[in-house]
Amino acid sequence: MKPEPFAWRALNEHAAAQLHGGFADRALRAARGPETETWRAFFARGVRSLRPGFAERVLRAARVATDIPSLASHFALSAATAAVCLSAVLFLHQRNVDAADARNLDEWRALVQAAADPDAGAL
Amino acid sequence: MESTSTTALADLVRRAQKGEESAQRELIISYQHRIAGFVYAMTGRSDYVEDLAQQVFIKMVRAIDRLQAPAQFESWLFRLARNTCIDQLRRQKLRRIFLPFGEEHENIPEPPGAVDSEELDALRHALAQLRPQDRALLALVQEGRSHAEIAEILSTSVAAVKARLHRAREHLREHYQPEHEA
Repeated sequence: MKPEPFAWRALNEHAAAQLHGGFADRALRAARGPETETWRAFFARGVRSLRPGFAERVLRAARVATDIPSLASHFALSAATAAVCLSAVLFLHQRNVDAADARNLDEWRALVQAAADPDAGAL
Repeated sequence: MESTSTTALADLVRRAQKGEESAQRELIISYQHRIAGFVYAMTGRSDYVEDLAQQVFIKMVRAIDRLQAPAQFESWLFRLARNTCIDQLRRQKLRRIFLPFGEEHENIPEPPGAVDSEELDALRHALAQLRPQDRALLALVQEGRSHAEIAEILSTSVAAVKARLHRAREHLREHYQPEHEA
């Protein structure tokens, strides 16, 4: 059996071997968070994603975009269409109801006339 | 010096508000890099940058005549950028609900060599773990906006910005492990 200090040393060595190179730097970086330089490089990465002639493309697209109807105008058109359809349905319904009323009234008048004149009915 | 540049910017904005295309072009060129960086920080995807930055500036061109205070142009522009990115992230989330198989196409990793270093990759990974609102907060700070300006952009108080910023930094540090993919 090996003495205890030897065992401790072996344990420490084993634990230390688990750490990858540059551990101190990585620990410091993680504790401090990203450096300003890292942020700068990060933003620069985004900047590199823009293709040359970006401003011209935006202005061209903005000119086209003004011709495209907005969501509000789409909504207004839909509402106007729905209103026209509803008016047409109500108009046709009312016309049918009026026609049925007139027809029923004529039939009723004919019945009343027939009832008032029993001879006409007998004939 | 600062007030001179502020006055020059306000003049430029006024000209753009009158529909002067050269002024609008100058504004886009002046801010395209800052907006591109901001969009990248918000989305973590370089293939989204051009499209989203374009959307931001189209909104700018179409709505600049409604900007009441030309001196507050920068705050207004970054608010447009933040809202555009958050809308895009929401749409993406909705798409994932309705089109679950689209996810694998949307989460295409950055092409090889796109991430320059371990730190950048770690930062991108850490930002991706945060809420979009917190990402916007950290990106605006890095962009050089003051707490008061950020409060204006986010329509909140300076005290709320400080508190949220503290929490966002803590979360970022928790997730910022440069060796996470090593």
